[in-house]
Amino acid sequence: MRKPDVLTRVKQYYQDYGRRAKDLRNAGLKIIGYFCSLTPVELITAAGFVPFRLRGDVKEPITEGDTELESIACPFVRSCFDLSLKRRYDFCDGLVVPHACDSITKAYPVWRDAMRTTHSHFINLPHKATDSSIKFFKNELETFKKWLEKLSQKAMSDEALEAAVGLHDENRRKVRSLYQLRKADPPLISGTEMNMIMVAGMGLPVYESSELFDEVLRTVKGTKKGISKRRPRIIVSGPCLDHVGLIGLIESAGADVVVDDLCMGTRDCWRETKPGDDILWTVADLYLGQIHCSRTYREYSGESLGEKMESRFGEIGSFINDFRVDGAILFTYRFCDPFGFDVPAKKEYFSSLHIPALFIEDGYGSGDAGRLQTRIQAFLEMIGDKNG
Amino acid sequence: MADLQEKANPEKRSHATRAASKIASMVKKSICDTAKAREKGKTLAYTFVYCCYDEIIRAMDIVPVWTENYAGICGAKRDADRFISKAVSMGFSRSLCTYALCGIGFDKWREELGAMPLDAPWGGQVRPDLMLSSGQIICEPRYKWYQTVQQYMPDVPIYTLDLPWPVYEEDMKVSEIEEYYVEYIQEELHELVSFLEKHTRRKMDWGRLSEVVDLSEKTWNLIWETFELRRAVPTPMDTGDAMNTMVPTMFMMGTQEGYDFYLELKKELEEKIRKKDGVVEHEKYRLLWGGGLPPWFALNDFNYFNSKGAVFPVEVTYRNVEPVNELKIPDSRDPITRLAWRWVRYWTYWYDKARKRPGSDPNVERLIQYIEDYQIDGVVIHLAQSCRTMHLGLIWQLNQLKRIYKRIPSLILESDMIDIGQYSKVQTRNKIDAFIELLEATK
Repeated sequence: MRKPDVLTRVKQYYQDYGRRAKDLRNAGLKIIGYFCSLTPVELITAAGFVPFRLRGDVKEPITEGDTELESIACPFVRSCFDLSLKRRYDFCDGLVVPHACDSITKAYPVWRDAMRTTHSHFINLPHKATDSSIKFFKNELETFKKWLEKLSQKAMSDEALEAAVGLHDENRRKVRSLYQLRKADPPLISGTEMNMIMVAGMGLPVYESSELFDEVLRTVKGTKKGISKRRPRIIVSGPCLDHVGLIGLIESAGADVVVDDLCMGTRDCWRETKPGDDILWTVADLYLGQIHCSRTYREYSGESLGEKMESRFGEIGSFINDFRVDGAILFTYRFCDPFGFDVPAKKEYFSSLHIPALFIEDGYGSGDAGRLQTRIQAFLEMIGDKNG
Repeated sequence: MADLQEKANPEKRSHATRAASKIASMVKKSICDTAKAREKGKTLAYTFVYCCYDEIIRAMDIVPVWTENYAGICGAKRDADRFISKAVSMGFSRSLCTYALCGIGFDKWREELGAMPLDAPWGGQVRPDLMLSSGQIICEPRYKWYQTVQQYMPDVPIYTLDLPWPVYEEDMKVSEIEEYYVEYIQEELHELVSFLEKHTRRKMDWGRLSEVVDLSEKTWNLIWETFELRRAVPTPMDTGDAMNTMVPTMFMMGTQEGYDFYLELKKELEEKIRKKDGVVEHEKYRLLWGGGLPPWFALNDFNYFNSKGAVFPVEVTYRNVEPVNELKIPDSRDPITRLAWRWVRYWTYWYDKARKRPGSDPNVERLIQYIEDYQIDGVVIHLAQSCRTMHLGLIWQLNQLKRIYKRIPSLILESDMIDIGQYSKVQTRNKIDAFIELLEATK
């Protein structure tokens, strides 16, 4: 039997997101709010601060955000912004925004205002992943490091940065171990639980998040799920997913989400730094050279279209094999250009692997649930018919 | 019903300047010329405006095919919908950039037919030999568009040019970081030259490139001087015309034809100022087009403003030059170095001014400067529904302008740059009427 306490704690962290960060701040630590999987959190940790990932709230209607930010922004970003205006994140001592996408980037001056912090920094992440781009990004990380040093009034040593890199890499390994538990059929941990665990971890200092993951691992590893009717195994692919809404709908409709290609999912944890002499270069290489995100343009190898597709989406293909996936839910947010333009190509890629795919454009709001549920049910029925 | 009729038979926009009325034929000719260039065996490249590579492609005798321009033309001719719908049928969301959707739909259609789609505006957009996309800090569709198109034109190589600039931070001087930005852009431009040399099998003529950069710098200064003439009361040209006369800035930079166009425009504006020949007979309200791409299918809304005595002596959109000498570009005869410095210094031009005013921002500071220089009574912005690039942040800029400078009447119009389905003439004109009443009350 699972110990109920750790998953209950995960749920509490998920539901009362930011509570722990507030407590830590009251205890004298400084909290740095940030966006996106592409913020190099290692540097924030090395500076002695707690990185805290900002998230939205699907249940909270956007009532103030539109007074300052256009409604044509990504709805996830709008939700985060609305919460900032409603002072949900006032406990943050600083704000770090990477050049992730147009919605986040163009709203940067607006964020600075909304967060009511005088400490903010923008990290200019290139759109390419060549050697000269990584060199440029390393220079940007030097500038970011100086900003953090100014804020902490303390020099950041290479040793401190190496230690932080080690902590975050270790944290990623623990998440990957959790993902392994989903290879079983039925999976030992559900997609809904995994999403909650990932979100909970984003609001904790890295050492606490690693402890939490360890505890979940210990608890879940020893459990065995009873034999039940085989449910379709689903991959969810898209941008960030900071709430259990979509995955919950899929699982309550009779499928298991066994893996993903998401921010706040595999995109955050599947890769780690490569050993090297220059610690800042290794961090730059991780975020730009290794993490595959639709916002980073890559020269794709191969002559034929199929080869190019494989080099572009091959990681998704290996997830499909390794986790024995039966179907894909491809989702983007409305107004999301980087992921939205990839939709037909990804659909074609799934088709080339004979994986049925359903595309969902989400408005980031609980009002969409009924419509989504109907479409998901129909999709799962179609997979069920296909699989006999 | 009236709206539907209007969509089918739009009123023709009238121009205040001779120069603006010539633009349509210039653009048509340049598009037809791309087809002739194809016949002559020249290298054609898909290109985006404002990518720091105009001079390079001109020096290498590559014929640009401006894909945003073609989408805009489809929009202006109210013929974009069939191409956008084609892209939507391929699985793209209509909430994405409609310029890109129009271009993608058009290209897919042309590839399927092996010929131009029937009655394509101005003969259609030719198939390129190369695609030059850009990973700029402002616009994701600029690299996603051609990446997408490559799916059904896999034989057409892409070069993506990364073009960052330092983002404004109140507590950070650009001088502390700009050198590594310039260095990176230089590397990117050199790589672009290598890419073009490889695919054209021609070497760059560096002396020629220097001459083209000289010409474009001269053109920047001339454009700035010409547009500054619009400070005059009554103004001799407004934004309605500027949305035409920007064409050589965006699509002919580094060409003698582009330079000569502004010489002629300058002469025309000087003559109009001498004669006190304004855009409208009795200029009552002077407005600033404070941002946003225009609805290309409804440029006659500018005439509607004019009919109420309102003119736009200045606009933020497409005013993409500053006087080159004020950019304080370090001395260099190397054209790539000059281009890289000009890029960074242009984008950071308003930073020092913004830093002097608490709560300001470069974009807000620019609005304030224009309001003062051009004796502005009100600000109008247009939110194009499908473009985050040019439109996110505009509402905040308006709000901040009022918070840190002065309360000034403002109007927010909403539609799209080419998706006419987002536009309502009745609602737009009702909003304009209400705004004019507000201006009247506050004057």
